[in-house]
Amino acid sequence: MIANPELRALRSDDSPQCDAQVAMIRTMDNWRARPEIASLLGELEEFSAGAELERCPRLAALFTPGEAAAREMAAGFSAMTCSALSAWPLGHVALRHFTDGVTSTVLIARAVNVTLSLVAIDGDGLGFRPESATASFGPNQTWEHVLGGSAGVELIECKPTGPRTARLSRRKMDIGQGTVQFRDGKRDARLLHRIDGALVSLRLQRRRPNAEATREYDLASGALLHQAAGNPRDSRLELMIAMLGRMERKDAAPLIAELACGEASAALRWQALRECLALDTQIGFTALAAIAARADDPLSGPAGALRAQLLEAHPQLQEVEPCPV
Amino acid sequence: MNLPKIDLSSLPDLDTLTGLFGSLLHTSRIIESDDSIVQLMAFVYETTVH
Repeated sequence: MIANPELRALRSDDSPQCDAQVAMIRTMDNWRARPEIASLLGELEEFSAGAELERCPRLAALFTPGEAAAREMAAGFSAMTCSALSAWPLGHVALRHFTDGVTSTVLIARAVNVTLSLVAIDGDGLGFRPESATASFGPNQTWEHVLGGSAGVELIECKPTGPRTARLSRRKMDIGQGTVQFRDGKRDARLLHRIDGALVSLRLQRRRPNAEATREYDLASGALLHQAAGNPRDSRLELMIAMLGRMERKDAAPLIAELACGEASAALRWQALRECLALDTQIGFTALAAIAARADDPLSGPAGALRAQLLEAHPQLQEVEPCPV
Repeated sequence: MNLPKIDLSSLPDLDTLTGLFGSLLHTSRIIESDDSIVQLMAFVYETTVH
């Protein structure tokens, strides 16, 4: 194994790395404290709370065609991080980032359900990937400002025609430096077909809280192929509930029942209901009966059917008192 | 009350299953236009709830 001597020395004394990290964090803090950035971050919070983009002037300027604000902000951010990294090569830019060799993103700022990212996509790498056979539609809004490069894209508009089908209309177009696009993720998706060189853009995305699922459709037939949770919170809770179930934590049943009867997505609530029934029959069945009795609940139908099925298999469940809703 | 123990595997799923956040059937060329991947990284590494 080859280990850089500087890195090897860190095993006995990690202070150079700690010093570099302190300096790096100070640099980032100074950047965030600049009046124009601080005000932008403040607007990001308001935007996250539901404000219209037009009500957030600094943020809106980043996504206005012809405005230089996006390029200036991205250039300032890149210059700041690159010069900090060259001064302290042992430091780490403590911002979420991702690369798979083709798509690289760095999360410049975040406020709860809103992300502001810088995205670079390599055209050569993209060319080696197979063309998409599906398009995905989720509960989010995306604004994108192309800062450099050009690409051939296809916009897909989704109109559901049934619970498992949709009509997808497709429109090809070219985008390039200065293009600003808005997509309502529930209805619009974008596919990249070709990039000349690299495509760099600034992207703002807002996810709807307590949102419904993301749906992936087959481009050729419009058939629903896959459905996924619309936000990470739902999946996190689902994993927690599954773990408590496997641990046979009966004491968690009241909390899980509360979740099942609460405001979350139907998919999460149904899993909570199943786990709750398996953990504690009485608490789970009470929750099941309460949900079945609510006419306006999307789970009312399946809950009613399951209640009937369980009562048939276990008549003694009739003794369980209905929930005082 | 002498209530039965209900087996989890005997309880049906909804008609359409819902996968974990960020999961896709065909990842090719979808992630380039969506921030889910960044969120997914955070989801894996973070334990705090926002």
